[in-house]
Amino acid sequence: MADSNLLRDYKRREFLRLLNGGTAVALTLPVAGAQAAVPARLARVGELYELYTGKIDMGQGARTLLAQAAAEELGVPVSAIRVVMGDTARVPDDGGTWASLTTPQTVPAVREAVARAHGGTPRVPADWKVLGQSVPNVLGRAIVTGGQEYAGDYRHEGALAGVVLRPPGLHGRLESADVEAAKKLAGVTVVNQDGWIGVAAATVREARRAANLIRAQWTQEPDRPVEELARPWKQQAIAPVEDNQTRYPPLVRQGDVEGALGRAARRQSTTYWTPMIAHTALETRSATAEWRGDRLTVHCGKQAPFLVRSEVAKALGIAEEQVHIVSLMPGGGFGGKQRADVEIEAARLARAAGRAVRVEWSREEEFRWAYARPAALMEIESGADEQGRIQAWRHRNYNAGAPGLPPPYAFRDQSNEAWRTPAPYRQGSYRALASTANNFARESHMDERAAEFKRDPIDYRLEHIDDARLREVLERGAKRFGWPGAGKGCGVACTIEKDGRLAIFAETAMEGGKPRIVRMLMVADFGAALNPGNLRNQMMGGLIQGLGGALFEEWTPATRSLRAYRVPRFSDVPPIELHLIDRRETRSAGAGEAPIVLVAPAIANALFALTGERRRRLPLMG
Amino acid sequence: MAAIELTVNGRRQRTDVPTGAMLLEVLREGFKLTGAKPGCGEGACGACTVLLDGRAVKACITPALSARGKQVVTIEGLARGNALHRVQQAFLDAEAYQCGYCTPGMIMGAVALLDKNPQPSEAAVRQALEGHICRCGTYPRIVEAVRMAARETRRG
Repeated sequence: MADSNLLRDYKRREFLRLLNGGTAVALTLPVAGAQAAVPARLARVGELYELYTGKIDMGQGARTLLAQAAAEELGVPVSAIRVVMGDTARVPDDGGTWASLTTPQTVPAVREAVARAHGGTPRVPADWKVLGQSVPNVLGRAIVTGGQEYAGDYRHEGALAGVVLRPPGLHGRLESADVEAAKKLAGVTVVNQDGWIGVAAATVREARRAANLIRAQWTQEPDRPVEELARPWKQQAIAPVEDNQTRYPPLVRQGDVEGALGRAARRQSTTYWTPMIAHTALETRSATAEWRGDRLTVHCGKQAPFLVRSEVAKALGIAEEQVHIVSLMPGGGFGGKQRADVEIEAARLARAAGRAVRVEWSREEEFRWAYARPAALMEIESGADEQGRIQAWRHRNYNAGAPGLPPPYAFRDQSNEAWRTPAPYRQGSYRALASTANNFARESHMDERAAEFKRDPIDYRLEHIDDARLREVLERGAKRFGWPGAGKGCGVACTIEKDGRLAIFAETAMEGGKPRIVRMLMVADFGAALNPGNLRNQMMGGLIQGLGGALFEEWTPATRSLRAYRVPRFSDVPPIELHLIDRRETRSAGAGEAPIVLVAPAIANALFALTGERRRRLPLMG
Repeated sequence: MAAIELTVNGRRQRTDVPTGAMLLEVLREGFKLTGAKPGCGEGACGACTVLLDGRAVKACITPALSARGKQVVTIEGLARGNALHRVQQAFLDAEAYQCGYCTPGMIMGAVALLDKNPQPSEAAVRQALEGHICRCGTYPRIVEAVRMAARETRRG
């Protein structure tokens, strides 16, 4: 129901503002509450300093990190900083919580501004007292005592409960509905407009009872498998054009790839597939909407409060200024809680009921009506000389997008292309988005070529890498992992992701006729580690989340419950070793996403080494 | 609607239970104890775990009526004043969480495990908590926290 143009416009504005040096921060010291139209604000409030940001904390540690940044430059303890997040009436629009931007952009902006207010410049890393330290998560005590308030814990006194009627099929549209019986019930509000039906009542039970009295006719379209809907992609696809005014350029090329492929002594072309997968944040989305006259307040738990504000305003036909979004901490986001959906539903019902209304999605609604990570079809063709050195490289991604397209390798002629196709079902952002698919394809293809030329996978990669930091990551990893002396079923993958350099190593073995992961190792260089403890937590979490998509996760139109959708559990986690290269003097890279992108290719390459069979589709053990 | 009596975090309580209500609903909506979290509605994620007469149960699939006359302990009932329960303290020391949404359920599951098996092996910890999902993937730190808490018992 949300408008995808709003998302595109919002992301482009955000990108251009940051590109044009708009990361500067306005300081309102010592007056609280003054408005500034640029990102991030700080104010003195009694004994504390309040830092205002539209970013939210969903477990990645942004609240603690931003407090560290301000504390460092103010010369005060972290406990003297209160970070006010996600409330559109109080914070500036400094962009959504996505693309691992808090570390590389928000932190420097905060530091620069605070330092300037004191007539100085940010402290050099050698003098850091708070940054670079493993400062414990400021929410820790609240989390372990059950006192932490999540979006779903928010209650508005007297709010009604809302439920929404859903079609039986994912593409179903409302044809007609008889809502009279439901409307007659005391205390029940029914909204039936624009093909959408919702019900509000005192409790969820009463709302459901009323909803069950509604006779709705929906169009009957069977939910066809994603791959069936993807079959015509290559005929339907729209070729990318160069556009550098966007965070993820859809076409990155150099030289003459077609000519170089034509001249190459040894060509190889391979195709890869990654399915749709569901974020499955443990907390389902919910929202409470309340109208006061023509002004709307919505409490929710979304990653991009200002984008949600635009989408809600548009859907309700009011101005953005009339909408106030308060985004509370969600129990997990992973890119799945960026757009307005449940907020619009609650707002429609609240307007009709003349009362506050709360809507909470069930797990089934999450699986069926939230967007999922796009499926991807990828074709890579490379041309090498007789010795195996790749000169020409063409990488096409159909449907999933451009993140992670530019290779970390020094190919002379290359073209990396994100082709647009019709989405089979509702699809959207997901931690690292298309980078996971693109790295799976690229690192699998590199491995295939290494095998073809009978080269060691690490030596082969190093031959194509100019970046000294990535070389070091690979070399250190090989040493730590015990490569090449390691067991038979070992694989590796490496990349440069959002300015971070990383490599993952995996060892596999057969057990009872089935492959098993024996151990894994990740080496990463994210520049200066601003909070090493939290960074390691993110590295481990990203790797483990990546195990699901690599091994067994696949969303289908039939996915309705957590029992039917397997995500990693304790027993799925092999021994994992993490190595962090901490470069104090180097600009920090965001690391919320990078660790997830190499899990699948590292394991796929290990399985090839183990079995001789190349798996070009995810999930690998599905 | 049926009226039941039960003990919640050491206090005798009387409450009306809507027909078919699960214990999770009564705890969260009735007693405003929001530490136990809804996650899947089918007992598959463990976020709603509480102790019922000392046993870890999934409150989202435990009928509220089955708690009649019993002792319920939630995450809010573990600490004694400012002193955290050793399992809470271990989770805090190991920073065994990211978003923390699964943490109350994880801690309750671990408390139930350590009551039965004060010195669990790593494998026993994993097995006991297999029904709990941490979507942020902090599993290794959780195992470490539970074993830290076990060492604390031995010392204590």
